[in-house]
Amino acid sequence: MKELQNKVKQLLNDKEVDLVIGWAKGSLPLVSTPVFITEAEQAEELIFDHTCRNNLATYLTKDRKRLGKKYNKIGIIVKGCDARSIVLYVTENQVKRDKVVIIGVPCQGIFESRKIINCTNGREVLEQKIAGDQVILIGRDFEIKVSREEVLRDCCLSCRYPDAPEYDHFIGEHRGEINVKDEFKIVEDFEKKSAAERWQLITEEYSKCIRCYACRNVCPSCYCNYCFVDNNDPQWIGKTPEVTDNIIFHLIRNLHLAGRCVDCGACVSACPVNLDLRPLNKKVEKEMKERFGYTAGLDINEKPAMASHCENEKQDFIMG
Amino acid sequence: MIKIKYEQLSALIDFLTESYQVYAPVKHGKETAFKKISSASEINKSKYNTSLNPKDIFFPQSEVMFTYTKNGIKSPPEQGKPIAVWGLRTCDTKSIRMLDKVFANAYQMPDKEMYKDPYWIARYKNCLLFSFACNEPPSTCFCNWFNSGPYDSSDSDIFVTDTGDEYLLEGISERGIKFLAGYPETSQADQTDLDKIKVLREKAESYMPPVVELSGLKDKLLKIWDDPVWDELSAKCINCGACAYICPTCHCFDMRDEGNEDKGKRVRLWDCCMYQLFTKEASGHNPRELSTYRVRQRVMHKYNYFVENYQQFLCTGCGRCIKVCPVNMDIRQIIQKILTYKEV
Amino acid sequence: MSNTYIPIPMKLERIINEDPDRTLRTFDLSFVNKQDEEKFSYMPGQFCEFSILGKGESPFGIASSPSEKGLLKFTVSRTGSVTQEIHYLQEGDIVGIRGPLGNWYPDEKLRGKDTVIIGGGFAFTTLRSMIVYMLDHRQEYGKITVIYGARSPEFFIFKDELKEWEARADITLHLTIDKPYPGWDKLIGFVPTVTKEVGLDPSAYVIVCGPPIMIKYTLPVLSEIGFEDSKIFTSLERRMKCGIGKCGRCGIGSKYICIDGPVFSLEELKKIPESF
Repeated sequence: MKELQNKVKQLLNDKEVDLVIGWAKGSLPLVSTPVFITEAEQAEELIFDHTCRNNLATYLTKDRKRLGKKYNKIGIIVKGCDARSIVLYVTENQVKRDKVVIIGVPCQGIFESRKIINCTNGREVLEQKIAGDQVILIGRDFEIKVSREEVLRDCCLSCRYPDAPEYDHFIGEHRGEINVKDEFKIVEDFEKKSAAERWQLITEEYSKCIRCYACRNVCPSCYCNYCFVDNNDPQWIGKTPEVTDNIIFHLIRNLHLAGRCVDCGACVSACPVNLDLRPLNKKVEKEMKERFGYTAGLDINEKPAMASHCENEKQDFIMG
Repeated sequence: MIKIKYEQLSALIDFLTESYQVYAPVKHGKETAFKKISSASEINKSKYNTSLNPKDIFFPQSEVMFTYTKNGIKSPPEQGKPIAVWGLRTCDTKSIRMLDKVFANAYQMPDKEMYKDPYWIARYKNCLLFSFACNEPPSTCFCNWFNSGPYDSSDSDIFVTDTGDEYLLEGISERGIKFLAGYPETSQADQTDLDKIKVLREKAESYMPPVVELSGLKDKLLKIWDDPVWDELSAKCINCGACAYICPTCHCFDMRDEGNEDKGKRVRLWDCCMYQLFTKEASGHNPRELSTYRVRQRVMHKYNYFVENYQQFLCTGCGRCIKVCPVNMDIRQIIQKILTYKEV
Repeated sequence: MSNTYIPIPMKLERIINEDPDRTLRTFDLSFVNKQDEEKFSYMPGQFCEFSILGKGESPFGIASSPSEKGLLKFTVSRTGSVTQEIHYLQEGDIVGIRGPLGNWYPDEKLRGKDTVIIGGGFAFTTLRSMIVYMLDHRQEYGKITVIYGARSPEFFIFKDELKEWEARADITLHLTIDKPYPGWDKLIGFVPTVTKEVGLDPSAYVIVCGPPIMIKYTLPVLSEIGFEDSKIFTSLERRMKCGIGKCGRCGIGSKYICIDGPVFSLEELKKIPESF
């Protein structure tokens, strides 16, 4: 933590950056909060731990790229997945590489509030402590020990790239690529089901959506100036939270994220009704990998899969 | 004050369903929400308030205003029995009363038919609100900032205290008193019960945060309306609608047509001032183009504009927005920052 | 209980193309049901939600005068999806309207007083309503002066009536266009400049209505001439939905344009955050 703070101080003092986006302690025990730092002394607020769920890259494109217009050079603290979002931005010509200073941090995985609440049977956690591989959850009248695995986000459990693939500075030890065996297990489980079962799962899950668009708005890859769902003329889909419209919204978003989703889990953490958005995201990711050998955000020199074409690509979607 | 044992709840709910459509907290996916129930077994008993708000009962996220065909316009069917809501918290009840002020008439307007919202009124008319004392308010609660508290029974029809093995029911409004008088179970609460309440109440109140004095908030907001501090306050907001959709008092809505020229319906659905398109005009002009202006609007509406029109804050301190915000925008911190801020 | 959200049916009697670009059309509507007509009582400055079933609603100021019985007139500029749909309408079609909504120009104050009416572009609709109303009750009002600006001569709306008014002695009309145009022998210049130059008497009441940029530059001119803020009135526009102070869309400060406005005095507006 101290190393990170010092690095940010130095970057600001040396005028290498005008702003640093990072995480600070949140107002609730289980969450951190994004923080925007322009003065070296503010760097003391910075943290990096298992509560840093936000993918801060999203702020580079948010609000019509306002930060980019205001600050010449932006420093941004990233986990592996967040760095991949920046790589994606560069390959999609949204952010110029020389306008960002990427500060990698060694990610050990982020906790999922919903899983923690499940562990406590719904009771409010007021404090959490890490003790080796254990997490101690403390409430008004209880103290529970659980293993880290139990409360890590699903996307962290199957994370292959905890380190930033692209960075200017790296704080701490690299973890290297992790050989995850069952990265696509949730997709395979899903694929094994019959069409009717799959449909039932999807309708059940997405019927709960309240269409607040938190998933879309936290998502770094969702940076369209006008989202198809907001379009009035023509209006592509209904705006009411009817299950059919909800499904269309989520499916189109999924497809629009093909080759663009870095599985950072921001959408899952953001959802106020805790929808399990991941299986379909992951399904599209798997397709991209199998069809085009492409994984989003790993190589800053590689063209985005959906924006390039090569002759030996499978074309069965056209020919049947 | 009458008391009923836990196991007698189903009798009460059955009695209620004879003359009311009964709503209560139920499991809704991984969350809890108010839904119509037909028996007590469906009720989700929790120490905390529901994750989704209760406004949906009277002001659904989407509802049909009318249907139309080539032959004309048809209003939606009548509401039927009045609505009773079991399992509200005091903050929830207050939020419903606030919304009634908006929908039953518009603020300074004389009692004019054209300002009445028929859809709200149809549901709200003769409703019976059972609000529960909060024995264990979570750390996100701050209703005590709004002259309320976990045992605030005002605004309830019937105030309910859950003592751990029974419910103590106290009629507060005339309607509530009348209902209890007509209820066959007449086991009266005694001194032991009152003592129990006292203990529970003291414990509950001890969980509340220190009160922040809000009397200066409205004027302070107007003073800093044009101040650059809003850039800082809004910096991390990503402009989703989670706070507004989860909020029991936010009531902005949109009206849309679904269908074609021959047949269809006009629906109204919740909308949110956080969205960029909320105020964008057909010409392309948008008075609230920047996220900063939209965050300011939401704060101003709750703690200044609404107070100007209805003499109370449009916030009950239920803490739901604090829990769901994806970037941990904490309205308590925003309020405190504004109160202590020295304007430029 | 009556339901303000249900539109009343109106028959489209006449469509008038107002400009060569065909982006401005005036629609004359008549009431389908007699009882709706009897209930519909309005004043100049009020507006209606114009409803096309299947497409939605859009608010427009009423361009007709209450003294024109049996008729409602709206001029619609084609800018969005609903207005486009309105432009597709044909004479004889049935449409819906909700209203009258909002407040109106301060007619009570104008009685017996001189009035200056300043308008620009197609925002002349409710101003037409006011002028026709005043002319129909001419003896009730003092001097009437109108300043009306448009891009070029073709973009004035209600051209026939402007001609009639020019011929009358009991109303002074200053028409101006942005830049010289073949055959134009009237004023040239933007509305704020013309306002400064025509010699207005600051004891009069003023009603200003036009594009935001015009209002922005005209208001200081009026103050410079000496008009009091409490005597300057303007009509605001924002996106609207419900029209009855609930849906929150047209809020400016603690006011809702749909019920507290659309007409505000400059004195009121100066106290409202977000009004400009």
